[in-house]
Amino acid sequence: MKYARVYAGDVKVGDELPPLVKGPIQQIQLTRYAGASGDFNPIHQDDEFAKAAGMGGVFAHGMLSMGFVAQALTDWAGAGRVRKIGVRFAALVRLKDTVTCRGRVLATSSKDDLHLVELEIWAENGKGEKVVSGKATVALPSRE
Amino acid sequence: MPIQINKSVVGKEMPPFVVTVERGKIKEFARAIGDLNPLYLDDRVGQASEFGDIIAPPTFLTTFRDESADTSALLRELGTDISRVLHGEQEFEIHRPLRPGETFLCRSRVLDVYEKTGKSGPMAFVVREMVVTDKTDEIVATARHITVVRL
Repeated sequence: MKYARVYAGDVKVGDELPPLVKGPIQQIQLTRYAGASGDFNPIHQDDEFAKAAGMGGVFAHGMLSMGFVAQALTDWAGAGRVRKIGVRFAALVRLKDTVTCRGRVLATSSKDDLHLVELEIWAENGKGEKVVSGKATVALPSRE
Repeated sequence: MPIQINKSVVGKEMPPFVVTVERGKIKEFARAIGDLNPLYLDDRVGQASEFGDIIAPPTFLTTFRDESADTSALLRELGTDISRVLHGEQEFEIHRPLRPGETFLCRSRVLDVYEKTGKSGPMAFVVREMVVTDKTDEIVATARHITVVRL
């Protein structure tokens, strides 16, 4: 089941998120993301502009890749469970690239009713290069 | 000849602005990412959930912007323009999920500006923070954003 519920007691350090493969990236998705996010930087829409800016052509919004990584987290932990997510945009995502989102549990902690899981998270393009890397914290329910 | 970045913007506070979360905007945003989680898209699933309504995805905070502000004004003040900037880093601390119809106050400021030389030459890093509070003055989220300027 895609949105299976994960409980705090089931999670161990070293556990990996099920990989989430997004893309291939198409221009229409970047246009749609511009409208939805309000980021109309022409560098994501207009190839001539992106080339003139020295970027070699259009590339995806970093925030779109961060949205993909957040989806990998919430597909696993559940929507509304992410308490912190921080990433560095390490490389550009180009048109036709696939983006594979991954994560691994770094630490778990429990205090009273609050069960936190810290993860490293990242996304790779089709060549296996990291395009996004960072950390996240999710709060999970306990079984009781 | 590399451009000069105006570091005097450090500490600058932008005028506070108000954002009301719109139901349709949450759904449009989730669909643009291709994240079809029913807690973002299906009102009935939202109502039956512990949240009482649909909620916004974690990165939805990126849509919180001051519609009345001139977005290129800060770039001009820094001494650059949009063709030179890249998104370097982004972090969200989210204390609770955001729901449609809620109104929030957003306060942004420039925390730091520093320069570094990387593989692709000299760059400036502009660190901004936005604190989002609800009607009870409770902080619901904090966003930290690093813009990279190619010098």
